[in-house]
Amino acid sequence: MANTESFENVVLELRRGVIVLAALSQLETEEYGYSLLKKLAELGLEVDQGTLYPLLRRLETQGVLESVWKLEESRPRRYYVISAEGKKLLPKLKKEWAGIVSVMDKMLS
Amino acid sequence: MNLIDRYVSEVGKNLPLLNGREDIEKELKSTLEDMLEDRAQSTGRIRDEALEIEVLKEYGSPQKVASTYNPHPYLIGPKIFPFYLFVMKIVLTVVVSVMLVLAGVQAVTDTPFMGADFVKIIGQGLGSALSAAIAAFGNVTLIFIIIERVLPEKEIGGFDDEKEWDPASLAKEPDPDSVSRFELIAEIVFTFVALAILNLYPQWLGMFFFTENEQVFIPLFTEKFFQFVPYINIVLIAEILLDIYLLRNAIWTRLTRLSKVVIDAASLALTVLILRTPDIIAFSAESLTGGPFPPEQAEVFVTIATYTFPIVMVIVIIIQSIELVKAVYRLFKMSRETK
Repeated sequence: MANTESFENVVLELRRGVIVLAALSQLETEEYGYSLLKKLAELGLEVDQGTLYPLLRRLETQGVLESVWKLEESRPRRYYVISAEGKKLLPKLKKEWAGIVSVMDKMLS
Repeated sequence: MNLIDRYVSEVGKNLPLLNGREDIEKELKSTLEDMLEDRAQSTGRIRDEALEIEVLKEYGSPQKVASTYNPHPYLIGPKIFPFYLFVMKIVLTVVVSVMLVLAGVQAVTDTPFMGADFVKIIGQGLGSALSAAIAAFGNVTLIFIIIERVLPEKEIGGFDDEKEWDPASLAKEPDPDSVSRFELIAEIVFTFVALAILNLYPQWLGMFFFTENEQVFIPLFTEKFFQFVPYINIVLIAEILLDIYLLRNAIWTRLTRLSKVVIDAASLALTVLILRTPDIIAFSAESLTGGPFPPEQAEVFVTIATYTFPIVMVIVIIIQSIELVKAVYRLFKMSRETK
């Protein structure tokens, strides 16, 4: 079963690399953790909760996201949105991603 | 306290000591409530303990969840680990060598070279070298654990010298200008030990004799020798400073080669001066008769000391001269190559 395990590990690594870009791209409008998780899943990217929530906090510490607590339906929710710094970073990341896709397409076609 | 609250509090207990612990707990609770509500809606079930158990099982054990928030899963992270290993090797080498040299010196000076006391001192020396090594290991590790946690990530990045690393350092066969770290570390240790003995324990430079009632100390050198100590100190400190500089820069430059020539020349000159100074050895038939030896034996000691000292000094002078010639040759070779 070593092959299945290494396949899963490689897939995990591949996904991990794109989660930051995926999350930033979807946070131009504010979302709370669970709603972002669902949104990404609906778009086809299943992300582990144990990966996404700590990542959102790290991105906020790095200054690319901002967050605010809001009281909704008698429940407090923490909403995340891309910061000014994140807005500067996003196009650069998109360009980088396009480069990777184009290179890998050439390699794999 | 319901199941969700207990789960959140259990995660909190396992979180690293961060400022945002309460915030993480609050966010986790909010997320779990969202999940439960969503699950109840999508499956048409009511929210009960069974549903909570199902969701919590899916979310994972509190320890696992807490670990995902840990920014420092390492005791000492991969960025500073090579630096940690480097420092550890130096510290352990220095500590163990110093302890062993001290034990050796004590065994030689305090005991008549054999017997139970000699073995006992050597045994104690090995024991204290081991405990000093363990203590040094613990202290260095503790310091690096603190560095890992205290220094901001950018600063830690500073230790990672990959950007400054020059692939040329791998080039060709052994580079004559690259330094041997092991030799330098050994030199630092022994020079340091020599400095310590000369300045802090000059009483070790001599012989102790234990008679029945008293302890007699006969120094090896006279006051004339100790007039040279400040100069010897300057040479030894210069040697240590040069070694440390070389250890940091890992490569010889023209300036360091020149410094080496100056230091080697100074130590050679000092050794010659010491050898040429009369009455530098304190052993004499008179001084030894105070010891536990009969006069004939004392005379043998004096003869040995009188001849051994110049022989040792001549050997030292030969070694120093070879070192000086090598240093001058390397300096000129380097100057020619860079022209």
